[in-house]
Amino acid sequence: MTKTKHLAVQSDDVGRYVFLPGDPGRCEKIAGYFKDPVEVAFNREYRTMTGELLGEKVSVVSTGIGNPSAAIAIEELHQLGADTFIRVGTSGGMQPEVVPGDLGIVKASIRDEGTTRHYMPVEFPAVADLDMVQRLTKAAQDLGYPAHVGISHCKDSFYGQMAPERMPVAVDLQQRWQAWVRGGVMCAEMESATLFALGSVYRLRAGSIVLIAVNQERPELGESNDIQPLIVTAIEAMKLTIIEDKKKGK
Amino acid sequence: MTHNPELQYHIQMKQGDVGRYVFLPGDPGRCEKIARYFDNPQLIAYNREYKTYTGTLLGEKVSVTSTGIGCPSTAIAVEELIAIGADTFIRIGTSGGIQPNIKTGDVAIVTSAIRDEGTTSHYMPIEFPAVADVDVVVALREAAIKIDMPFHLGPTQSKDSFFGETEPDRMPVNTRLNRRWKAWIDGGTICSEMEAAAIFILSSIYRKRAGGVMVMASLEEAQNLTEEEIEKMRALFDVDRAIRVAIEGLKLLIEKDRQ
Repeated sequence: MTKTKHLAVQSDDVGRYVFLPGDPGRCEKIAGYFKDPVEVAFNREYRTMTGELLGEKVSVVSTGIGNPSAAIAIEELHQLGADTFIRVGTSGGMQPEVVPGDLGIVKASIRDEGTTRHYMPVEFPAVADLDMVQRLTKAAQDLGYPAHVGISHCKDSFYGQMAPERMPVAVDLQQRWQAWVRGGVMCAEMESATLFALGSVYRLRAGSIVLIAVNQERPELGESNDIQPLIVTAIEAMKLTIIEDKKKGK
Repeated sequence: MTHNPELQYHIQMKQGDVGRYVFLPGDPGRCEKIARYFDNPQLIAYNREYKTYTGTLLGEKVSVTSTGIGCPSTAIAVEELIAIGADTFIRIGTSGGIQPNIKTGDVAIVTSAIRDEGTTSHYMPIEFPAVADVDVVVALREAAIKIDMPFHLGPTQSKDSFFGETEPDRMPVNTRLNRRWKAWIDGGTICSEMEAAAIFILSSIYRKRAGGVMVMASLEEAQNLTEEEIEKMRALFDVDRAIRVAIEGLKLLIEKDRQ
């Protein structure tokens, strides 16, 4: 059996249920909740660890930062039979009430990036799977973590967000940022649009949950780096998915 | 028409005339069919394509206002309804079902909309998703399951040209229309209609809730039918199927809001 070009894994190496952090350094923390986790590959930014949850094979694969590398990871995982994904990441809050330490459950994304247009015209919405949104919401509620459900601004340029004034297109970036904030966008991150667009195109179940690490509109609130609630909530939501799948005999 | 400053310009109503919950059909002719499910429905206003009835469901004030066809007139209705206190919208309509597994008479519970129209770019850049409220979608899905109505969940194509969809080949831009149509199908779009994108975008930016349920006609089944089959399809392509899901869904939502 041949290994995929970028992830360097084959179908036995991964489960149908996959967690997608951006940072390879977070794979181990997530796999820490699996039974018998094994690192099956680590090529480029793609680190894959596989184990079990409730007796089902599950994996965690880092996507690297941004939509281009995330699309490659999801393509190759889909090719190997994975069909259920939860992105687990960090983000910046954009509404005053979305504060560091809170969780953000992403129900849809602004396609402010270059990858998904290679799949679908820009008018098409990047939307999460409804059941995944519900399970992530329930998991956060059951665990008692403050969580918001909303839209993410999914972009390709980190510093275009953090330091727009030094970009030649500063005015455009700043005006659009104002529109996103006024339009009620919950948070900013860099991978969900691709997960959702590919999820629609390939009929996958895609969910996304992020830790609000900072709030760019309220910098005085400082930073939160406690990713424990984020990971525990994602694990719990995946377990709820597995339980429902087993009930339905899927 | 002399403008009465107390009334919203197009819908000709004021605060108190509508409930916070409003059904939004396109066709003014459908308002009565929907209002029939209310307790004590009253005709409140009828100006241009905007016809409104208000009554109650489970003791809560609810309304139905027709939007007319298309996102431009729909945006006006939603703007003015919000201005007089509405905060929860359920679009009810008809649409073409565009996945092969869709049968005529199935309903579409739409999660989001393709912004293939000219109105919503006046509100938000095109990259912003037109997405329904999760609680409204969940209530509509529960309602469909409860009354045993076959349904599909997914995005709708909201377009500005009816005949661009039904007869693309007579348009000068036919190759673009056909190419994009194929992309919508491949991308998992379940149906095609003309108002949802405006309702979802306006609801998002004004922090209101919106969802939509449409009865579908299968575009595939519509090919090469006998007279008898056409009659059968017509009977199934009945907006009342969408109305029943919407009414039951709103009742579930009202109960949830009370908790």
